Amino acid sequence: MTDTVLDMKSAFPKAIESVGKLNNKVVVVVGDIGHFAMQGFAKDNPNRYYNLGILEPTLVSVCAGLAKEGLIPIGHTIAPFIAERSLEQIKLDFCYQALGGNLITVGSAFDYSTLGCTHHCYTDLGILGSYPNTEVCYPSSPNELIALLEQKYNSPFLTYFRMSRTSHGEIFENVEFGKIIQVRTGESITLLVSGPQLKTALVLAEALEQEGMSADVLYCHTYKPFDEEAVQNSIAKTGKLFVIEEHVYNGGLASLALRCSRNTPSLSFDCHCIPDKFIRNYGSYSDIADGLGFSAESLLPKVMALF
Amino acid sequence: MSPPNADLRLRIVDLVCAGGGGHIPSSFSIVDILDSVYCHYIKTQDCNLVKQSDYTFTLSKGHAACALYSVLHKYGYLTSTILETYLQYSSILGGHPDSTKVPGAEASTGSLGHGLPFTVGRALAAKIAGSPKKFFVLVGDGECHEGTIWESAIVANNLGLDNLVVLVDYNKSSDQICAHNSLIEQFKAFGWYCLEADGHKPADIYAALENALDSPNNKPRVIVFNTIKGFGVPMLEGHGSWHYKIPNNEELVIIREALNS
Repeated sequence: MTDTVLDMKSAFPKAIESVGKLNNKVVVVVGDIGHFAMQGFAKDNPNRYYNLGILEPTLVSVCAGLAKEGLIPIGHTIAPFIAERSLEQIKLDFCYQALGGNLITVGSAFDYSTLGCTHHCYTDLGILGSYPNTEVCYPSSPNELIALLEQKYNSPFLTYFRMSRTSHGEIFENVEFGKIIQVRTGESITLLVSGPQLKTALVLAEALEQEGMSADVLYCHTYKPFDEEAVQNSIAKTGKLFVIEEHVYNGGLASLALRCSRNTPSLSFDCHCIPDKFIRNYGSYSDIADGLGFSAESLLPKVMALF
Repeated sequence: MSPPNADLRLRIVDLVCAGGGGHIPSSFSIVDILDSVYCHYIKTQDCNLVKQSDYTFTLSKGHAACALYSVLHKYGYLTSTILETYLQYSSILGGHPDSTKVPGAEASTGSLGHGLPFTVGRALAAKIAGSPKKFFVLVGDGECHEGTIWESAIVANNLGLDNLVVLVDYNKSSDQICAHNSLIEQFKAFGWYCLEADGHKPADIYAALENALDSPNNKPRVIVFNTIKGFGVPMLEGHGSWHYKIPNNEELVIIREALNS
């Protein structure tokens, strides 16, 4: 099923081609993004690939219409143009009408680091998760993307895939939608992380080790449904929780974790997310991540303050 | 002389009065078109006029829901008992149609600009499946301010969706706000097969629908129906305060007289 040597860019067409082979009802609709990457699917599946043009709200509504007729739509373009520009189409045409389908976005958070805020999207996971009849995930390694899409492409819900450009670099053989992956086991603190920031969390765990503390590192690729049990079990053991995610503070992983920790007494909690301001810097993905404090060096004092 | 479909118009008024809300003039504007579509193309639940699977109708301007409910009642999709619950807490009938609750409502509409792109997706699906299905979708001329209408116009033309028939309720609402230069010319410029008809003369409506369906070209089709908001009751006609107003007892007498004359 999985090919561990792929990068995210080549994993996307492979994932699409894979589900295309699984079910001849899959129809891929793009908004002039990913057009060349989809040519393999288009060649293998005549009449099941459409580059509609640069009209994202209509793209989403068309996908809902395809679903109404019993097909399995996969809509794709840049994250803010789907999750923010076309939000009402998602809410009314998919969610309100309880239609299933898939939206896979490229350009997670600040992946388009040189293009400015028009191409950034830090709110999508919270927004999409807030509507009934949705599922929300954030695959950040090639294996995850392929596995999660294969598992959920034919779900009765609208499934939103926030696809990161950068992989966290870990290879997980068993990826199950809705299940947190325990990447490292410790006793002193729970580090809950999503996306490429898993890499940061693992470096942070090493740094904590140097300080004499061990970290439970939990990696979350599915925001909705959220694996509350995994978080509850970990924080019951550690009593301390630190969340790292490339999303605004509201509505993301930090919010989900806090809600599920409501019955954990004396929990020490903090998180590091994207601040309440537009990111007006440019440079590489790493430049912006570093600038926002997404580095083990920057996070260590914040985590140590919980002890 | 009473207007066509006086019975449906009376039912619309009864619904709005009993429920305490609704858009009477907008419903009167489209009810003759809806009745023609259901009468000639959509299978009724009482009799077998045509094959249900071949045609669907979607109301995109969802605020004219009372017209849809009245027509769905006439053709057996909704019982009188259900109609009596309109706008009540547990009713399936709200101020805008909910496709998950209302038998015969093909889309949950209300916010304008959704029904057409949604139906474009359905028409594309039928093409992919090699299905003979055809799709009517009714939009308002005010709704034609929405960008998704023209996005859809591009897409439907580009995909050659000749199984899509857009019915424009051109009651000139847009003229009160931001007038279209010419809806017919605009759709023509987008590559559509365009027709125009009187939206209150059943014979003309049917002829236009037949023309649209029979045309051998591979373009999406649009019929711009010239309509009058509130048609059939002079007091309600036009673009004034009646847009969302419940008649009082004196006004009801005037309305009933106009519809029963």
